[in-house]
Amino acid sequence: MAENTQLTAGLDAGSAAVKVAILRSQAGNHAEVVATSVQRIRRREVAEVCRIAFAEACQRAGVQPTAFDYVASTGEADQMDFAHGHFYGMTTHGRGALVLDPATRCVMDVGALHARAIKVDERGRVLGHRMTSQCASGSGQFVENIARYLGVPLEDVGALSVTAKKPEEVSSICAVLAETDVINMVSRGVSTADILKGIHLSSAGRLARLIRAVGAEGTVLLTGGMAADKGLIAALKESLSEAPSKKKDAAVTIDVHAHELSPLAGAVGAAALGAFRFDQLRRAGRWDVLKGAREGAAAAV
Amino acid sequence: MEPTGGAPGRTAADPAADVLEKARVLAEDLALNTVKAWKQKNPGMLAIGHLPVYTPRVMFEAMGCLPVAVFGAGEIDIIKGDSYFQSYICHIPRSTVELGLGGQLDVLDGMVFPSICDVIRNLGGMWKLMFPAKMSAYLDLPQNFAWGLGGRFYMGELKRIAAETEKRGARPLTEEGLRRAIKAENARRRALAELDALRREEPHKARASEAYLVARAGGVMLAEEHEKLIREFLAAARKRTGRPMDNVRVVVAGSFCEQPPLGLIKTLEKAGCDILEDDFQLGLRMIDGDIELKDGMPALESLARAFTERGRDTASRYVPDDTKGQALIRRVKECKADGVVFAAASFCDPALLDQPMLEHALTRAGIPHTSFKFAENTGQFQVIREQAGAFSDSVRLWGGQAA
Repeated sequence: MAENTQLTAGLDAGSAAVKVAILRSQAGNHAEVVATSVQRIRRREVAEVCRIAFAEACQRAGVQPTAFDYVASTGEADQMDFAHGHFYGMTTHGRGALVLDPATRCVMDVGALHARAIKVDERGRVLGHRMTSQCASGSGQFVENIARYLGVPLEDVGALSVTAKKPEEVSSICAVLAETDVINMVSRGVSTADILKGIHLSSAGRLARLIRAVGAEGTVLLTGGMAADKGLIAALKESLSEAPSKKKDAAVTIDVHAHELSPLAGAVGAAALGAFRFDQLRRAGRWDVLKGAREGAAAAV
Repeated sequence: MEPTGGAPGRTAADPAADVLEKARVLAEDLALNTVKAWKQKNPGMLAIGHLPVYTPRVMFEAMGCLPVAVFGAGEIDIIKGDSYFQSYICHIPRSTVELGLGGQLDVLDGMVFPSICDVIRNLGGMWKLMFPAKMSAYLDLPQNFAWGLGGRFYMGELKRIAAETEKRGARPLTEEGLRRAIKAENARRRALAELDALRREEPHKARASEAYLVARAGGVMLAEEHEKLIREFLAAARKRTGRPMDNVRVVVAGSFCEQPPLGLIKTLEKAGCDILEDDFQLGLRMIDGDIELKDGMPALESLARAFTERGRDTASRYVPDDTKGQALIRRVKECKADGVVFAAASFCDPALLDQPMLEHALTRAGIPHTSFKFAENTGQFQVIREQAGAFSDSVRLWGGQAA
């Protein structure tokens, strides 16, 4: 490996899953995703799931845990003994989105428990953000609950939603009220596809407001677990194509899309920032502050 | 897969687990069970409570008393206390009243209210009315530090309070007793200084949240016992085999009176901050260096001179010009910190009045800083975590420059 190329790993523990990305890059630039791993937490101890996911990613990449220049954690993985450093979720999603699509200037991160729109500059620095309140109606957990009530496997939700003919929107304010709406719809014989599309439109309405509120322009990349939901992406495009309520937003062009690695954007960003930080420390002659970390990583897995 | 490296204190094999648990129990002893046990063991001896920031505990120890830090009630529900104060008053007087009216402070034979702000002065007055049978003393700390003025005044204050305590049944304050107590206090201070040094040099071995518990535990102990506890923790922490994390190194300022919840300190740590220095338990560190005992100088004068001549430049002291700002910059440089986190209790006038001046000094010196407010019963830390996380990333990645 060239001297200015780093091998780094990013470890993102969310509310529902742990994601790991292994990256080869030059201080976070010209990044190549070498391997990834996703482990659902499923009531297991987060630290243990992190170790399993990290070991799995190392195996897929064919590298030893000692081979990394920097292992960076993000999200709830803030106490991992084999990580060199921890970065805040907003910073890592911002940087990860730029790795996946360099044109990104806004990130719409929709996880299991919250959603946030993050405006970034061309280096991935966070310029501003807007976040959902404590209500879960704009999040993945809500969609997951509804899918379970309807008996639809989570991976089929998006595909079913885009086939809807006559969607009915549900309450966009409260997840509890929305669930009542869904029960009523089932009683009235509304089709599963229409119910799911209604759920997506409801969530998308909230997300579109966050995107506009943060002042997004140009490319918006959807990240987080919900970025894998085609139904949500389609609904969000629809919501953003509607005339905005504020005049100043009318002239703004927004292109929202997802990347196949969007659910891993936090992990990708953490790995990229790890490489950036490694390079920074090495240039400053301060890499010795992390002395012994490689041995720690080896022992941990 | 056994964890072997990284941040310590989180595995069953942690050598400091036992001593930290001991410290936690003492630090969270709102029912003052430790004090009750001490009084049972020492019949006839007095336990004297005191509020933050600085009370010369050593003087009470010299008189055979157990000084007891009454530093708020943490997260307990405040019901009675709220009815005594306006909404724009900080939390510590409410929780102190709650503890007093709830009977948790009954074991104390008296209370000392050192001058920190108008709210605590008023609380001292209220205490006299609420608990007329108990000793309630207002300790007016000098704000003029010239020995001929403030020093003499402070000596008078100490003598007045010593006499009042003696009337309640304490042993008289003697030269020999005070010298012995000062020696014990100096030993505790040296142990604390060692703990502070370990935090600065190897923050992964002694986290701020742990040092806080160990320091705060001393609020219900005599200096000699507290020194033993600190040294026990030091010995255990040095045995830890953890390694450093790539964290941002910060100084936390502004939490010298009402204490932040432990969860807040841990939140800052989780957000990637190594807290190298703080003013959480400032009273124990108020004087720089030892209380110097000199031949021919009365021990009480030594105690008073230590405060007037070597007291720390903090919000509870009037220090003119830009001295406090420069003192903070010096502390940042001494511990090689990357930035400063201002964490002041909501409505804490001394902290919040000083803060703009300190921030201005830091900005001029190019030292990144951020600020937030808390109350001792704050239970949600998500917003603080986001702010501290963003600050930590900003300092490490972009040198603290705003985008």
